Amino acid sequence: MNVVITGLIVGVIFGFVLQRGRFCMNSAIRDTVLLQDSTLLKSVGVAILVQMFAFAIMDAAGCISINPKPLFWGANLVGSFIFGIGMVLAGGCASGITYRVGEGMMGALAALIGLTTAGTLTAMGKLGFLTNLKTSLQTNTKVMIGEANPTLANVLGVPYWILALIIAVAAGLVWYLMARKNGDDDLACDSSIPLGDRVFKKGWNWLVAGITVGLVGVISFPISAAAGRNYPLGITAGWITWVKVALPGVDASVNWIAAMVLGIIFGALIAALIAGEFKFRFPKWGMIGQAFLGGLIMGFGAVTSGGCNVTHILSGIPQLGIGSFVASIAIALGAWVTAYLIFVRPNK
Amino acid sequence: MTEITPTKTLDVCGKICPYPDMNTMTTLKKMEKGEILEVLLDYPLSVERIPRNLKKQGHKLLATEQIDGPNHRILIEAHGLK
Repeated sequence: MNVVITGLIVGVIFGFVLQRGRFCMNSAIRDTVLLQDSTLLKSVGVAILVQMFAFAIMDAAGCISINPKPLFWGANLVGSFIFGIGMVLAGGCASGITYRVGEGMMGALAALIGLTTAGTLTAMGKLGFLTNLKTSLQTNTKVMIGEANPTLANVLGVPYWILALIIAVAAGLVWYLMARKNGDDDLACDSSIPLGDRVFKKGWNWLVAGITVGLVGVISFPISAAAGRNYPLGITAGWITWVKVALPGVDASVNWIAAMVLGIIFGALIAALIAGEFKFRFPKWGMIGQAFLGGLIMGFGAVTSGGCNVTHILSGIPQLGIGSFVASIAIALGAWVTAYLIFVRPNK
Repeated sequence: MTEITPTKTLDVCGKICPYPDMNTMTTLKKMEKGEILEVLLDYPLSVERIPRNLKKQGHKLLATEQIDGPNHRILIEAHGLK
């Protein structure tokens, strides 16, 4: 099937699930510190474990062949730390600002334009000393295991699928037992509300959101690979592709990831319209400016680190890529420092 | 519509993550025990998250009402942390 069509289909599903699940990795990371709320972080954790489990089985069965991102620890640390700063300023991660455009949020659109602009300029090497910084960090701190990008599996010398399966099952089991012991009541669902309303009108609880996002990641891998891009979900590269397609004199065509990110906006729009949550929202100009600036910072950070939060946290950790682990930690640190400086300290 | 006269109204329409939540919490912190805060907001995530996080701070959720579409109104009785 045409790569644009399969990309759009996966994107629409992803966008629908993101909007219904209120899946926001910026909030997930930030709120553990800011509001002592870990609900969304649990969602992210579930999505990672679902994918790790499924990728392990698919890898063993030969349906996919994992393709972790490179480890260039300097670029991962610096780029992703910067990405984390931008994410808090922008009010959303790469996936968050994308799906919120479909909810009618103009602040998110400003952030998305910023992300795309800086991402493209960095990728095309048009940012002067910043481009040099990116290139030198990526070349000078690159570590490889033989010919392969390092993963927990090849560092330990174990087949990927065995280690991923062990980690996914063990982590899932420990988590389940701990949740039972602590009497987690977040999952209580109001059965007086009809199922249709719970699916289409109310926000999904964190477990449903995590599992569905994870499943979208699972189906995305073989579909994306069939389209010639051997990686599960991503965001930034898709938007950069659109600019390259639009620019005269640049040889680029609409590929799977570009179609997928556009599909996210349509999926979220459909979900928001059904739920009655669509509304054009114009924040004050200062806020739009901050979102745009945040987007610019995210764009540079994402390209420097070899990926945004989706590429590294959502898609990279399930593949046990060490570069993605480093990047994920740096994103969290950048987000926490920024959230502290902007929201916590002024209110002390 | 619940017939409660709020002591104070906080309009965070158009604001997104995490401003609706943060503004609500910091406003509540400055209010006396028993005072009522009315929050007007249109951000779906916060409509669900603010009530969830109120409990931890000891504030009391009086009502969450949908005005129309994504526009909501939340009424909260302050715990008095001032």
